[in-house]
Amino acid sequence: MTSLAKAECLLPQESSQTEDLTVTIQTPTGAFEFPCQEGETFLHAGLRAGVSLPYECATGTCGTCRGRLMTGEVDIGWEASPALAKLKREKGDILLCQTKAKSDCLVRVPAKTVTQTSAEAVPAKTRGVICNSRKLTRDVVEFQLKLSAPMTFEAGQFALLTSPSVVGARAYSMVNHSIDKTDSIVFVVKRKHGGGFCDWLFSDTVDGTEVDVFGPLGRATFDTSEKKNLIIVAGGSGIAGMMAILERATRSNYFSKYAGHVFFGVPTLKDGFYLDELAKFVAKAQGGLNVTLALSNEQPSQASHPNYEGIKLANGFVHTAMGASMAGRYDNAMAYLAGPPPMIDAALRVLITDGQLSPQAIRYDKFG
Amino acid sequence: MAWKKVCGVGDVEVNSVKLFDVEGVNVLVTNYGSGFRAIPPICPHMEEPLDVSGIVANCVLTCSKHLWAWDLRTEGMLGETEKPLKFYETREEDGALFVNMVEELVYDFDSEDDLDDDFFG
Repeated sequence: MTSLAKAECLLPQESSQTEDLTVTIQTPTGAFEFPCQEGETFLHAGLRAGVSLPYECATGTCGTCRGRLMTGEVDIGWEASPALAKLKREKGDILLCQTKAKSDCLVRVPAKTVTQTSAEAVPAKTRGVICNSRKLTRDVVEFQLKLSAPMTFEAGQFALLTSPSVVGARAYSMVNHSIDKTDSIVFVVKRKHGGGFCDWLFSDTVDGTEVDVFGPLGRATFDTSEKKNLIIVAGGSGIAGMMAILERATRSNYFSKYAGHVFFGVPTLKDGFYLDELAKFVAKAQGGLNVTLALSNEQPSQASHPNYEGIKLANGFVHTAMGASMAGRYDNAMAYLAGPPPMIDAALRVLITDGQLSPQAIRYDKFG
Repeated sequence: MAWKKVCGVGDVEVNSVKLFDVEGVNVLVTNYGSGFRAIPPICPHMEEPLDVSGIVANCVLTCSKHLWAWDLRTEGMLGETEKPLKFYETREEDGALFVNMVEELVYDFDSEDDLDDDFFG
């Protein structure tokens, strides 16, 4: 594969440009040492080296990657980070996902779960060129990245994108999925007002722009060996990672043995997207997969989508539609959630209270 | 021993949590169906307010933030939960729920996270 060869000759060149610093992480279960390039965050350097540092959002909001700087010089990163505000900065507390080494550093991390993992599936730094960007609805855009080094990832994972023109990294779930390495990954983004990265993506001039990519990340993944019925609850662009999960499941005929129930929440009928793709998944599953489009701001006039017979319509919030449809059918279920935090919270309540699902049977990226 | 009245036993619905002020101390009462538990009002993980994020079902309290969960019957931790809850001693009498308020129960976030040498000893 030519793109793979490209990756191999790219990496040594990169690392030879700067002298690597050494970061040592002390945890209750042992110490880990790894090289860190100047300007690279502790989290990225550690994960790249296969050290399973704790993280959830990897973008400075959740606080899961908290550590304490014992020695060394750092750049604390995003000053306005919501998670940083909760830390005891006078004691040297830092976020591994934001802090960049400026010298060799010693950091203590309270997590007891840090281990050295095998070289497989460790995230890596690469670059990607944006192409084929297209608007899916009035406020949702899809774009593709051509990666300079191909990536292997599991269905449901995300990557961090950084643009030279916008401060901070953004986390986006991969929409597509491939069992093999791929140099083409697809993302979908909902426009948020005042979101610098979003505004930039909607500017019509993004195709051809290069962005930094770090990934894959995230543990809310699907594997065909789950042997569970799937309940998928997504709000808006949260459908992204679910599309990868559905693609993975469909390709392995998963829905011939286990049921799939997808609940996709959008405000109105015209805000729906990926309906072609969802309808195809439904058709291929031959009865094993149900997809419901829940409209929070519109009363549907019929039970199915006017253009897609296989997609059911419901009125109300997506967690309500899920609760009504799933009542009494939660046996052997694994739930995947993605969407705005209030949606996640509401869906969790239904799954735990009505569905009696245990935390182990619910997967979502804890960005909050 | 300082038994203080928190609320009436009918004030907290089955499978719910409710926050009370007990002489200046915030106490969260959970009714898990077969009994009550009185705990500090925040999650020991990341100080999430449990009156908002706490879900009670099946005798289990789950924090919706990161899904830490505790069995309210045994007071034990479930799944990937890493820190125990602290519990006030409770007593029901004449339709009211009392807690034994010796001192306010607080989670020592600093010392448990305090990455001093003892922690790594």
